[in-house]
Amino acid sequence: MPPQTNSGKLPWPLWLGAAALTSTVLGGQWDLAWHRSIGRDSFWTPAHVIVYAGGVLAAVLCVAMVLRCTRDREAAAVSIFGLRAPLGIFLVGWGGVAMLTSAPFDNWWHNAYGLDVTILSPPHILLLLGERAVALGLLLFAAAAMNRAEGTPEFSKLQRVFLYLVALTVTSQMLFLEGFTLDYVLHNARAYLVLGIAIPPLLAALSQTSRFRWTATVCASVYTLLLLAEILILPLFPAHPQLGPVYFPLTHMVPTKFPLLLLAPAFALDLLWQRARSWKLWQIALASGIVFVALLVLFEWPFASFLLSHASENRFFGTMYFSFNARADGANRLRLFLAPQSGLVLLARLALASVCAAVTTLAGIVFGRWMREVQR
Amino acid sequence: MSLWLLWKPTSPKARCGAPAWLALLFAVVATPAFAHVGSKDVYQRVSAGPYELFVTIRPPTVIPGVATVDVEANGEANAISVAALPLTGEAARFAPAFAAMQRDTTDAHHFTGAAWLMSSGSWQVKLAVSGAQGEATASVPVPATPISLLPMQRGLGLLLALLAVLLAVGLGAILAAAVREARLPAAVEPSATHRHAGRIAFALGVTLAIALFVSGKLWWRASATQYAQGLYEPDRLLATLDGNTLTLRIAAARENDAVHRAMTDNDLLLDHGKPIHVYAIRMPQMDAAFHLHPTLVSGWTFREQLPAMPPGTYKLFADIVHRNGFPETPTATITIPAGLVAAPLAADDAAATPPPLAAGTLGASDKLPDGYTMRWENAAPLKANTGYLFRFTLLDPAGHPAGDMQPYLGMAGHAAFVKADGATFAHTHPDGSAAMPALMLANPGSMAMSEPPAPTVSFPYGFPAPGRYRIFVQLKHGSTVETGVFDADVR
Repeated sequence: MPPQTNSGKLPWPLWLGAAALTSTVLGGQWDLAWHRSIGRDSFWTPAHVIVYAGGVLAAVLCVAMVLRCTRDREAAAVSIFGLRAPLGIFLVGWGGVAMLTSAPFDNWWHNAYGLDVTILSPPHILLLLGERAVALGLLLFAAAAMNRAEGTPEFSKLQRVFLYLVALTVTSQMLFLEGFTLDYVLHNARAYLVLGIAIPPLLAALSQTSRFRWTATVCASVYTLLLLAEILILPLFPAHPQLGPVYFPLTHMVPTKFPLLLLAPAFALDLLWQRARSWKLWQIALASGIVFVALLVLFEWPFASFLLSHASENRFFGTMYFSFNARADGANRLRLFLAPQSGLVLLARLALASVCAAVTTLAGIVFGRWMREVQR
Repeated sequence: MSLWLLWKPTSPKARCGAPAWLALLFAVVATPAFAHVGSKDVYQRVSAGPYELFVTIRPPTVIPGVATVDVEANGEANAISVAALPLTGEAARFAPAFAAMQRDTTDAHHFTGAAWLMSSGSWQVKLAVSGAQGEATASVPVPATPISLLPMQRGLGLLLALLAVLLAVGLGAILAAAVREARLPAAVEPSATHRHAGRIAFALGVTLAIALFVSGKLWWRASATQYAQGLYEPDRLLATLDGNTLTLRIAAARENDAVHRAMTDNDLLLDHGKPIHVYAIRMPQMDAAFHLHPTLVSGWTFREQLPAMPPGTYKLFADIVHRNGFPETPTATITIPAGLVAAPLAADDAAATPPPLAAGTLGASDKLPDGYTMRWENAAPLKANTGYLFRFTLLDPAGHPAGDMQPYLGMAGHAAFVKADGATFAHTHPDGSAAMPALMLANPGSMAMSEPPAPTVSFPYGFPAPGRYRIFVQLKHGSTVETGVFDADVR
């Protein structure tokens, strides 16, 4: 099976997989900045090209692995309709078909209803589903190789690759949630509900699979560093909006908002999971949900107030950067919290967020334990 | 010589020389529209500093979408770039980056480009020109409205359905493999129990995929319904007749739609000094036509004592321009009874009683009641979707070009192109088809009439579809507004 070699070198399919995910996630990050600064002017923007190059790499990996494993009757592979390949590779292929299906659908959608101004449309969700399937497929592929190598010298190397893929996946998930978690909505429980549903299960599952004690902390660190780098580097590049209406004229690329303080709850979750190995599953999940939401709120709530203050208008926190389509009378530019909540309403919503986080975390742990056993 | 005076019927596909620019300038798409009725494209002549630009803008039928822009520039323009932005409001202050227009390789005066119109409402296309005479800009107003519903093509629908089946079966197969053998060590064959679990997983996977597609389809249907509800509908024109008093009331077609925002009492801009211009045309024979200007008597209500009008059914086309520069032409029908007490024709109003359509096609020369004659200089066979410059001359009773020409409502002339069934109506001026108040918003302080009226006046227009059209041309000499009427059989 290709991902296991005795040469000490990482096998090419994993390199290819890591390159594909890197390209898609970093390209996606760049694409978001492109939309904030320039607007879409054609399909062939550099950011789009990099995203789709990741798709091409994943397709090459998928086709090559299926051909090779089917030809060699590879044993460490599953069989689907007579074709053989690792399970993750089939999922990558499925994700690729979903992404391909979304392309003509999205094109028709634009012709019928105009260029999308929202990320939430059926063709976009299909595209996103495909992207997520590709990422999960690559994770499964790497996890199977890692699982098979358990107890061998190869394991730690494969674990590092897996952690790299995990960190990119978590960063990508955080970027996708950006629309729900901008600094001026952070005094409303919805942001914490969304994060609670989407982030702890991912961290829990991948932490289970990786067997690394600080998986969540590593993921949060990579996410934080990537976004900080974006804030420090992107504004150095000139840019002008190419689509009206322009409400905030620009001369340079606009980076993302300052990263959420995910490090605090991630570190706490790592500590919790290290100490709760003997707990019942539901106890771990419940504690995880509460710890995640509570620590996130504890750190992010006052920090959001700082971000909306003028004290944060500097090159590091970057809160003087706005998208060209940010209206002067919008909460974002006015530095006002949108629909702030307090008192019992807030507490009740945050409790709900914790419960939701616990439920999804439970599912995440179960899935992570299953992934840990995947051999093919 | 102004390029507008070049005239030759052209095909929109012609790509070289003067005919090419005229063709591209005037090509018209047959779609329902906003300003005017049935003519969505904008043809406009504007001055950018020393450069005279002849601009054709074809807005998209869905918003956000791309408007195509053609410019014919006279003088020494070397490069033109284009950007679209709202006509009024905060965003009117900031243009996005200008995109270079392509210069025609065979006609150095002709440039083509495109601009995104990102939201419904009143927009402008801004042109930046550079050349031997320096740099300058000009803007052309463009109403941006979603007007079309695109059905799913059968082939694409079939392809998507096939891919959906593939995805559903694929998801089932992957889940089956995951349950059946993913956790087995290499070379261990799955047991009968594993296989059975795999079959159940397959069924669950396919069911899950179908559930996802069904919810996606429901979401799609909801989005399509929402889009259809946002399609542009012009204001409604409610016309009532009490004795000889015509009362017109304008009401928003829908509350809270994207284009119409909350209409306020002082929402209208004066167009040539009038808040409303009404063409009343007797149908179906088009044998009486009036250009009227009812007075605003209260918010959105206009009134006028009608002049002597032959009895019958009239179609009313009412041109208005909203405060944000968005022009509209709501329509209504009224019936004029016999024996109506008539008021004198108001000073700025005009009337004509041409022969009925049934009497045959009118000629290229219209003998007017006071002895003057209006002549259509370039009458020729006409084709749909082809651009023409319609040129008319007013001759005095002695047959000489009229010497006492006056502006009529601030313009050298007005021309209305009306299809025999009333489905197409375009009220244009020698400068083009954009509404004057919108043009003044786009180019503040630059739209004063620059030349004294000449007896020969030309109007750009292209017919959106084959059929019979009647053209009403209004020119003023002394204190008389003349209405010449001509017929066009368009193939």
